Amino acid sequence: MIKIIDYGMGNLLSVKNALEMVGADVEICSRPDDLNDAVRLVLPGVGAFRDCIGNLQQRGFVPVLNDLVLGKKIPIMGICLGMQVMAKKGFEQGECDGLGWFDAEVRRLQTINPSHRVPQIGWNTIEYKNNITLFNGLPEHPDFYFVHSYQVICKEADEIVAICEYDGPVTAAIYRDNIFATQFHPEKSQDYGLQILKNFIRWDPYRNA
Amino acid sequence: MSELIRCSKCVLPQTHETITFDNQGVCNICKGQEYKQDSIDWTSKKKDLNELIESHRGKYDYDCLIPYSGGKDSSWTVYYLIKEYGLKPLVVRFDHGFLRPNLNDNTMNMKRKLGVDFLDFTPNWKIVRKLMLQAFLEKGDFCWHCHTGIFSFPMWAAIKFNVPLIFWGEPSAEYTAYYSYDQPEEVDEKRFNRFVNLGITADDMYVRLGGKIDRRELKWYSYPSLKELRKLNYRSVCLGSYIPWDPKRQAEILAKEIGWSGDKVENVPAQYDYEKIECYMQGVRDYIKYIKRGYTRPSHLASLDIRNNRMNREDGLAMAMKYEGKRPPSLDIFLDFIGLTEKEFLEIAMAHQVSPHVHDPSAIIPGEKLHDYAEWSTEGKMPREESIEQLNRWKEHRR
Amino acid sequence: MLKRRLIPKLQMKSSSHVAGQLVLVTTVNFDRVIEIGDPVSQAKIYEAQAADELIFVDLDATREGRLTDVKNVRRAAEEIFMPITVGGGVRTVEDFRYLLSNGADKVTVNTAALKNTKLLTDASRMFGSQCVVLSIDYKKVSNGVYEVWSNGGTVNTHRDVTEWALEGERLGAGEILLTSIDRDGSRSGIDIECTKNVVSSVSIPVITSGGCGLARHFVEGFKEGGANAVCAGTYFSFKDENPMQCRAQIKNAGIPIRLHK
Repeated sequence: MIKIIDYGMGNLLSVKNALEMVGADVEICSRPDDLNDAVRLVLPGVGAFRDCIGNLQQRGFVPVLNDLVLGKKIPIMGICLGMQVMAKKGFEQGECDGLGWFDAEVRRLQTINPSHRVPQIGWNTIEYKNNITLFNGLPEHPDFYFVHSYQVICKEADEIVAICEYDGPVTAAIYRDNIFATQFHPEKSQDYGLQILKNFIRWDPYRNA
Repeated sequence: MSELIRCSKCVLPQTHETITFDNQGVCNICKGQEYKQDSIDWTSKKKDLNELIESHRGKYDYDCLIPYSGGKDSSWTVYYLIKEYGLKPLVVRFDHGFLRPNLNDNTMNMKRKLGVDFLDFTPNWKIVRKLMLQAFLEKGDFCWHCHTGIFSFPMWAAIKFNVPLIFWGEPSAEYTAYYSYDQPEEVDEKRFNRFVNLGITADDMYVRLGGKIDRRELKWYSYPSLKELRKLNYRSVCLGSYIPWDPKRQAEILAKEIGWSGDKVENVPAQYDYEKIECYMQGVRDYIKYIKRGYTRPSHLASLDIRNNRMNREDGLAMAMKYEGKRPPSLDIFLDFIGLTEKEFLEIAMAHQVSPHVHDPSAIIPGEKLHDYAEWSTEGKMPREESIEQLNRWKEHRR
Repeated sequence: MLKRRLIPKLQMKSSSHVAGQLVLVTTVNFDRVIEIGDPVSQAKIYEAQAADELIFVDLDATREGRLTDVKNVRRAAEEIFMPITVGGGVRTVEDFRYLLSNGADKVTVNTAALKNTKLLTDASRMFGSQCVVLSIDYKKVSNGVYEVWSNGGTVNTHRDVTEWALEGERLGAGEILLTSIDRDGSRSGIDIECTKNVVSSVSIPVITSGGCGLARHFVEGFKEGGANAVCAGTYFSFKDENPMQCRAQIKNAGIPIRLHK
């Protein structure tokens, strides 16, 4: 059973529908205790960093997630704000601590060209590391749907496994051990997005990357 | 010829659906073809085909279901799966209403020489002609009932007869870029919605007809729900995704082995007697395409030949120029079927022109009648009161 | 590179012919209504044709004093996997929340934002500005002069379009949806001038809508108008045209746009 974490923010229904479309059994969980028997976890998110981590803390998700993800190594996929909150610190509306699963900071997109507006909204092409099985079945230059004003900047460049181009490279996906996360929305990226979700439900972090 | 930009390799113009050109002016369909010839691992595809077939063989009342028209592609599919694999198929035909006599001969030969269970279905003609008119008005393509029926009805048959494996013929990448060769083309609802149904499902058609027909009449034009099909564990695939498709060679073999024969088609050079022989409205279909897009079947055929190194571009262009731009005699029958005058027909067709093409009616010359013209049924003309109602509604919308 | 976007518009209204059914319609000048299909069916078709996003608008909502009907959006969301913007009758932050939890990724607000400027700020603070689309319907007065109309194109606010768009951005909108009432359903082309004025004034993305009749019009909207996205309702409903064909034609004009899927 794949469990989607419901902490009051995020388009959970779309994520559930998309996972079910690719054949997964999915449950939306609003209580931390319900996560304990999860085979895989999904952390979605739409909104502001501060509210996100605040909600996760208030509802008691943080210790449970730390245990499941860092301790029991349950595979987890973060989406958009769900990815950002995995960082150490965020700088939206002031400095704020994240979950700290990645040694990274979340900073506002800097664009020079006036035609590159913030937030980045729309479909952009990603360049990705093709030894990551989570990207299996994708063509060389796939487009995904992005909608964000902030990006995750990892200290370990190796943890960045996909980027897009938006007045300079912008982090599109990060990965470490049993944690994978995308800035773009796979549940909003039609067939390629569904492909990534399909790969996620088959992903074995310990047999393949 | 109009000033359309054409591919620098084949002769398809910029008004062709989904066409794009690269920096050398070569179109994406030509490039897709290059991929087909160079990059597809046909051995591996054949292996996939073997596995697919073996996983279904003997497990159901039929090993597979084959949608059939009597043309070269479906005939080849039936022939190949029986001869090469010894399968027991259920062959299903959705009769669009305009089957030509030769086709009936082909079908009889197929049934007698290969030996198959054959399911034939003809939908309500009075509904068909209504749908033809509505689709022509709203999408400039009167074949909606045929497109949708041919792809939906076999799926309903698969559900009713419990046959999960469905084999279609050639992949669409031969003609357009709605799918590329490296994408596995499942013939499913997504494909149906992508380009088969002209952007209108039966639910939409019901709304467009103002709810004026019995909703049940549209059942066979609706694709079954994903839920039902998943219950069946269906696999709906193109045989042409697994084996290389060569229509000319296939037609020759079919002629020799099962007495299949091609037929002359309106306004197409005689040597192309293996394409689009199924329908006596084909000439009208091609003519409408010409009005809308400034090119038609001869350009398609030339382009296919150019890509297969059977013709050079200069000859291809010359052939297109010689054979396109002619009025098919079948138009008279069509006008009766949908209750329109030729003037009205032209007005409607020209309303669907694809930019930058602009049609010149004065340049059109009459085409020749085919040998079986007298045998085509002209029964079932639409009463003028009925067609006028639909026509007026359309005109009202365009005010 | 970020691509420009092609967004079909799905306008919902109660059918005059099929009792009790909400159907899709196209309009002309926000007035003449033509029933063209079923919302869920069309949404699935656009998914198959790889539209970039969809905009659902409930045309009756404001007039009937209620919120957008979400039934169809919810059903559509089960089988379509692209961004959905929903609007019609949105008045409060709670309305935003309701729509966002029923399948919408973005919510568009029009009349209510004009009446209550706090709405944009509150919604954007609560859900992020990227969820907040300010919809501006306008009519041309004379060259260079465009006025904002509210209440489904029935009330002239006499406000300048560019000025309102700028304020909307300042108040927290993440995107602007500009619709020309004059050109709606006319197939005569997009209002390039107004589009250009707004695009060059605001720094948030602009979707322009109203008037597409040829593929060329999309190209103009992107090239000359500078819009980030073009939204079309009538264009795909009455021709042998679909997003896949259209985007090929746009690409051929040199504009960065998604191809294939």
